[in-house]
Amino acid sequence: MSDITDAKARERLIDMAAEFYDQFAGGDIPHMDVPTRSKSNIVFDEDAGVWVYGDRTSTRSANSVRGARKLLKAVYTMEFLAQQLEENRSSTLRELYYLSESWDEEEAQFSTQSESNKLVEDLEIVSGVKREDFHMRPEESGAKVMGPLLLREQTRRGDRDIHCQEDVGQGGYQIPNDPDTIEFLDNGAEFVLCVETGGMRDRLVENGFDDEYDAIVVHLGGQPARATRRLTKRLRDELDLPVVVFTDGDPWSYRIFGSVAYGSIKSAHLSEYLATPDAQFVGIRPEDIVEYDLPTDPLSDSDVNALESELEDPRFQTEYWTEQIELQLDINKKAEQQALASRGLDFVTDTYLPERLDEMGVI
Amino acid sequence: MTSFQSTLGEEEGIAEELAESQREISIAEFFEKNKHMLGFDSGARGLVTAVKEAVDNALDATEEAGILPDIYVEIQESGDYYRLIVEDNGPGITKEQVPKVFGKLLYGSRFHAREQSRGQQGIGISAAVLYSQLTSGTPAKITSRTKGSETAKYFELTIDTDTNEPVIQDESETTWERSQGTRIELEMEANMRARSQLHDYMQHTAVVNPHARLELREPKNHFKYERAEGAELPAETEEIRPHPHGVELGTVIKMLNATDSHSLRGFLQEEFTRVGAKTADSILDAFRDRHYGREMTWSVPREGVSEAVTDAVSNKSGADTEAFADALGEELADADRVSFTDIENAVDAAADAASEETGTTFGDTVRENVVDAVWTAVTENRDDDLYGFVDDATSVQKDDATVNGISWRIAEKFGEETPRDRLLREDLRDFVVRAAESIEERNGVTVGETSRENITERLWEAMRRVEDDVPLAREVASDRDAARDLLDAMTSVDVISPPTNCLAPITPELIEAGLRKEVDADFYAAATRDADVHGGDPFVVEAGIAYGGDIPADGTVQLMRFANRVPLVYQRGACATTQTLKGIGWRNYGLDQPGGSGLPSGPCVIMVHVASTNVPFTSESKDALASVPAIEDEIELAVREAARELKSYLNKKRSMEKRREKQNVIADILPKMAHKVSEMTDREDLVIEDSLARIMNNVLVESEVTEDALTVSVENHADTNADLDVTAIVDAEPSDVSAGSVVEMDGEYFLKWEPTVSGGEDAELTATVPDGTDCELSVDGVDAEKLTVNQ
Repeated sequence: MSDITDAKARERLIDMAAEFYDQFAGGDIPHMDVPTRSKSNIVFDEDAGVWVYGDRTSTRSANSVRGARKLLKAVYTMEFLAQQLEENRSSTLRELYYLSESWDEEEAQFSTQSESNKLVEDLEIVSGVKREDFHMRPEESGAKVMGPLLLREQTRRGDRDIHCQEDVGQGGYQIPNDPDTIEFLDNGAEFVLCVETGGMRDRLVENGFDDEYDAIVVHLGGQPARATRRLTKRLRDELDLPVVVFTDGDPWSYRIFGSVAYGSIKSAHLSEYLATPDAQFVGIRPEDIVEYDLPTDPLSDSDVNALESELEDPRFQTEYWTEQIELQLDINKKAEQQALASRGLDFVTDTYLPERLDEMGVI
Repeated sequence: MTSFQSTLGEEEGIAEELAESQREISIAEFFEKNKHMLGFDSGARGLVTAVKEAVDNALDATEEAGILPDIYVEIQESGDYYRLIVEDNGPGITKEQVPKVFGKLLYGSRFHAREQSRGQQGIGISAAVLYSQLTSGTPAKITSRTKGSETAKYFELTIDTDTNEPVIQDESETTWERSQGTRIELEMEANMRARSQLHDYMQHTAVVNPHARLELREPKNHFKYERAEGAELPAETEEIRPHPHGVELGTVIKMLNATDSHSLRGFLQEEFTRVGAKTADSILDAFRDRHYGREMTWSVPREGVSEAVTDAVSNKSGADTEAFADALGEELADADRVSFTDIENAVDAAADAASEETGTTFGDTVRENVVDAVWTAVTENRDDDLYGFVDDATSVQKDDATVNGISWRIAEKFGEETPRDRLLREDLRDFVVRAAESIEERNGVTVGETSRENITERLWEAMRRVEDDVPLAREVASDRDAARDLLDAMTSVDVISPPTNCLAPITPELIEAGLRKEVDADFYAAATRDADVHGGDPFVVEAGIAYGGDIPADGTVQLMRFANRVPLVYQRGACATTQTLKGIGWRNYGLDQPGGSGLPSGPCVIMVHVASTNVPFTSESKDALASVPAIEDEIELAVREAARELKSYLNKKRSMEKRREKQNVIADILPKMAHKVSEMTDREDLVIEDSLARIMNNVLVESEVTEDALTVSVENHADTNADLDVTAIVDAEPSDVSAGSVVEMDGEYFLKWEPTVSGGEDAELTATVPDGTDCELSVDGVDAEKLTVNQ
């Protein structure tokens, strides 16, 4: 449940506008300070066990032509969001971008969507209000869930009770944009298994893995959306279920794990809300590549750069990860999770996962 | 001319026959047949050249008389021909001179003068007269009135091309409204295809002579070129004498024949510039070397001198001889090495000393004998000395045997061929070369060019200059070789650059004034270099640049070339000025230059002026400067000096533009932002000038009228000092004005105040005024882009 009401969110926006007003009135140069969103400004919060933004800030100031334009866009967006809240409507990030083209003030129009996305993130951080609370939705839809879980979803068209095995088709249950509208009613699960690729997820479902091991299978779909991460966290916290993550064996996939477990760099201000600190990594690990002699691809230059970049990433600077990454740089290979099929289609559900999960003390 | 192979005796008469038809061609006839040499090749060109010659003349004449020139040029259509009229306000030409000036080629005062002048040859205006006569058949009509005369003289004249003499067709007295001056009227074949060159010529002349007033009237246009305000006549130039490095052999001989001086020394000091006593002596020393050569010196043997004396002296008593020998020994004791002349002097001195002591005279014969004897003794072992020199001069690679071999061979030559061992350098070198060749042949040892030169040099250094008297001037005049030696000597000696009072540069101020009045631009720069020398002739280069304004921006820059204040209008491509400009990297100075070379493009006028006592042209028509490295270097330096100013102007302009752009964008955006936030927060509209001023690093000046006080505050948000002129106009009388002045005009009161506010500081002007007074601010002293005024 979101703890910020529409009224409160709107108030925060007005407060931000008021700050600019005061700056003008005082003859100061209008400006807005935002934490720097890069891996050099990520620090580990001991209490929360997650990674948050450090103290470095960037300033957008009306001192330059560029800064003045940014602030104008910010103010226009703030007005739009306030309006949206008042009318109890919502829109997607993409819609905001297009909408800006209809504003009569040319200087306030966004030139790309990534520009408007970034601005919304700025506003999130400065105001302390999640964009969901501003009624802004992203494009990407949430994950699909399959497993022994009964839940109730609050929709615009009334409440729905859904069982994630019996009431859903092959595709599973599609998480809504705001997973805080879900209430967990009942579950018979032992653990949560987050899976990166659709192919592997289908394999698990076809082999009845969720049934056999009482697992809630959450399909991440690549880099997971906020909704997915939020739900995963809630499953861990509210249902006390261990969470494990199963991805390909390459640096991009390790980052996927990172955003589930540690918090992402782009939304580090929401890590507390979105991250599942004690999520564990199943594989594919570089040592798995070696042990199971999986079919591999050589590392490309960008893979190598990404791995080396991860060695510098504070979130991966543990003994475990350092060892694995250096091993991978050594063998110079990467492998997909579906490569396990080289040992037979059932190898993953018969051998690999049970062995690994047993090792990890999950089953 | 055909040539015949004549066999003697058969066709004797051919040469005579040919001789009969040969005759002297007059100058006038020569140029009649070679008009292009003087710039009269086509009808179009001819007109421009005629105008040029007449105007140059007029300028020279008025300037020389100390009058600010006022020149009128008119071109009228006259049937098939054109009539050219040029009038000036000069001193006029006397009745006697008019025929000669206009009717005789190569007559003029400028030909021999070594000072900067427009026409380097006096050929000018008479060539135009000749041209008009040839093409139209009508005579030139000249009117001239000198100051103080009651009437003007009127001439109609032509030139007799056989004799190069004027022919006066008509002569009379006439009235003329001008009180003094000259008017020439010529009718000639021409066409106005050269209209643009003509306009260029007049306009450029106006630029480079800002002290002159010019007017051009032609069938389709009428231009007036006014005098620049405050422009004075150019400085008077003085004629200078030639510089030792700038004369040729023929000239030197001519000068020797013409001089009043008897001695060479006097000749050098009198007839040349920059030659004083010391320089003259250096030149004469160098002359002696070349004319007489030097004498080789040999070391004095420790023994044998006395014996030589004793042997050589007969008829004198033993005691006397001894005295002589001792005296000589003393004389020679100090000498390291001696030449023949040294020995002669020593013997003389010794003989005199001995004479005094003993009372016996030692006559010439005795002395000669002694000299010979001593000489023999001294030169007995030339080898040893030579060995030392050759060894010194050659590298370690030459072994003992070789050095020896060279030495004795050279010694031999001395012994054989040279009385007194006196040689010219080239003869010395000859010795060395022959010795080297011989040893190469005999021993197969190579003595290369460098070694030969080194040895020659070393030996030459060891040789002593002779003190012989140099010949008299007239002797040298009739001896071509001696004159050649003198010229070589002059060239070899360092002489200070010639004086530059023979030059009258325009000066940067007047260059700018000239450009300013003829070219409508935003920016002007000018530079004048220090005078320099080429081939013994002083010269000075000046450059000017005008940029922006009305100058057309597309196409290459406009180039104005000048030599001795005369525009060069034709043959642009062949001119050294153009070439030099093409070689400069103009992008560095802010002008477009496609490909990085060639003339740049942009709204720009570049002018270059070369002034010299001898401007080198590529051809007789004097259209283009010849390529002389010393001059080209100076042109480049002058242009770069002016271009640097252009560069900083363009940079400043650019940064001001950027600033203005920034100002415009932000001044556009910020109010909108302010309006939005006032809307959102539901507060009253904002005044944002302060924020704007701060952003723009501006100086903010605000006025505020409260109950009874007027406060004008100045905030300086920049980091440099601001010197301001602030005027507040109020409609009621102020009192208690702080640090300012009040002036009343038409019921309004002007409060003036000149504060200096440091960067980052504030200041206030206050005054007491009645409540509700209106105040209007006006601020000067800060660029508009850097100023925000709030009222």
